[in-house]
Amino acid sequence: MKTKSPISGKYKYGFHKPEHYVFKSARGLDIEGVRNISLHKHEPAWMLERRVMAHMIFTKKALPTWGADLSTIKFDDIFYYIKPTDKKANRWEDLPPEIRDTYDRIGIPEAEKKFLAGVSAQYESEVVYKSIQSSLSKKGVIFLDMDSGLREYPDLVRQYFGTVIPSGDNKFAALNTSVWSGGSFVYVPKGVHVDLPLQAYFRINAANMGQFERTLIIAEEGSYVHYVEGCTAPIYSTDSLHSAVVEIIVKKGARVRYTTIQNWSNNVYNLVTKRARVEEEGAMEWVDGNLGSKVTMKYPSVYLMGRKARGEVLSIAYAGPNQHQDAGGKAVHYAPETTSQIISKSISRGGGRTSYRGLVEVFPGAHHCKSKVVCDALILDESSRSDTYPTMKIHEHETQIEHEATVSKIGDEQLFYLESRGISKPQAESMIVNGFIEPIVRELPLEYAVEMNRLIQLQMEGSVG
Amino acid sequence: MKLTISHLRASVEGKEILHGVDMVIKSGEVHAVMGPNGSGKSTLASVLLGHPAYTVGTKGKKIASAILLDKKNILPLATEDRATAGLFLAFQSPIAIPGVTVMNLLRASYELRHAAKHPKKTEPVQNPVLARRFQVGSMPIGDFMNMVKAHAKTLRLSEDLLNRGIHDGFSGGERKKIEMLQALVLPHEFAVFDEIDTGLDVDALRAVSKGISVLRKKGVGVLIITHYQRILRYVKPDVVHILVAGNVVDTGDYTLAKKIETKGYGAYLS
Repeated sequence: MKTKSPISGKYKYGFHKPEHYVFKSARGLDIEGVRNISLHKHEPAWMLERRVMAHMIFTKKALPTWGADLSTIKFDDIFYYIKPTDKKANRWEDLPPEIRDTYDRIGIPEAEKKFLAGVSAQYESEVVYKSIQSSLSKKGVIFLDMDSGLREYPDLVRQYFGTVIPSGDNKFAALNTSVWSGGSFVYVPKGVHVDLPLQAYFRINAANMGQFERTLIIAEEGSYVHYVEGCTAPIYSTDSLHSAVVEIIVKKGARVRYTTIQNWSNNVYNLVTKRARVEEEGAMEWVDGNLGSKVTMKYPSVYLMGRKARGEVLSIAYAGPNQHQDAGGKAVHYAPETTSQIISKSISRGGGRTSYRGLVEVFPGAHHCKSKVVCDALILDESSRSDTYPTMKIHEHETQIEHEATVSKIGDEQLFYLESRGISKPQAESMIVNGFIEPIVRELPLEYAVEMNRLIQLQMEGSVG
Repeated sequence: MKLTISHLRASVEGKEILHGVDMVIKSGEVHAVMGPNGSGKSTLASVLLGHPAYTVGTKGKKIASAILLDKKNILPLATEDRATAGLFLAFQSPIAIPGVTVMNLLRASYELRHAAKHPKKTEPVQNPVLARRFQVGSMPIGDFMNMVKAHAKTLRLSEDLLNRGIHDGFSGGERKKIEMLQALVLPHEFAVFDEIDTGLDVDALRAVSKGISVLRKKGVGVLIITHYQRILRYVKPDVVHILVAGNVVDTGDYTLAKKIETKGYGAYLS
């Protein structure tokens, strides 16, 4: 359709970097579209090649036969590449009233609301981002959007890109590899501890959020980093398909924590592949909160490759009316004395559906490893549903594997008890739900935990979603 | 203030349990309702707070049922509004609510009761969640927690329990004491204790009784529902009602309770 030359694009905001050109691919995806994306980004040849190969895999691979219903995705109706600058042209007034209303109720400041809604970029945040950048770069830490990462550190990206999640892993990983745009590139040198969480928030402000984000985090030996992405406020998007890929490499003795809270608007298919490779004595922790979206399929994974590597997945899923959250985690033990823990909490309400789907696999030789899976479901009414699909493949005798699952409902007597204390039914329900997810929420940074609690409260009042 | 229970009829699944109960409790008074098993004592407690399982029947009856707080009929109100209007119920066998800690419940309930009494004059704030974080009603959170802990101490409740899901895995005695703790912390005008004495050892009974005396001194009107008169040795009631088969068959002073102790309910059973 409309293709402008990179140079003629007008910047809507003074601080935008020169490379923010305006380009919008045609609907649907063909090989020419994929080439165009790469050409417009002036990518190295190897990346173009990766994209083209991945596109071939994407077209050949079938949709997964398990999990949520994806048959209604219209791949030919989707724009695969829109320069974010375009999407931001929306006005605050153009947003659906329920989204604006939610922002008001969460009580977030005006400017922040507009940013979250993708309406405008904020100059203040740009400044904050810059100051964070300068303190990080003194330590040799790289924290860039993925496009800049590829441009500025092509060798580093080439060394690790697609090594944890190859294009052929699944249809959506292939799709992401062929059309990816945006996402984060993080490199933490040996022995460096990044004290403050790296907030994608700031990075997104500068580079915007993509539909097919690609994130790559490399933690060198003995380093530590906590990466936080997302926010509890609903993210309004006109795009109906979001398919991100997150690859993390945790080297010997390093520790990475990756926290996500996502609340997509209810038209979105959120199909994400997240995986970490953990080497000897390294530790990977996924904290994953999924609210909103129409369908989510997300199973953060840890591949424990080295002796005594440790992996942890904490997952919260909330499904309201017309939502299906198919979430869980995956732990693969390749080495001896490795440990993993998957804790999943799901809530379904108003006809919503949650599924826990998990895999624990122990390969021969991975002796003395331990794994613990706990999945708890809370069902708020008769029309809602929750299922559990745990899979265990254990090929080693000397292992310790635990699995616990509970399903609970909110009882009338519990509600009457709280009501007799002056608490209304919606508030009583939200107290019970917040209590239920508290063990995971306490792992979140404070501001996210507060917003999360507030959001659950709003959901119970039926004013959102 | 005055709590007036007027011609209260209540049924469950079409079967009438209370056949028109009358009672007037004034602030600072302690009333006891005694009666044999199945007489409708616990129904009375549940109906006062509007338990959804019971229908309060006025249909086809000449005299309408009413529960009045002074002149206001609270019968049409939802349970939570009766609570914030000034009623408190200590449950006979309170249910466990995992995840809702004792402290969180106290805090939420205290705030709502406080807000109902003091219509808010708070200034508009940017983030209500953050603004509320450090205050409970008009009290700094630290003071509130200290107040709760002080009450817990007098009841000999372990502080650990305050941060656990309410009644979740608590012993029988702990449950009763946690109900008493709420009665002491939460502001209200009238409190109903539904068999608070059953299953308590002497020390716990003494502590709970002391709590009731504290409430009485504060001017709270108290209704003790009990099967035995054991607790009445520690809290001397001003008025004793005998409830048999859904009717108040006798009302008198403390001597009535003593009479029951020696002679039982036999005289009232036909």
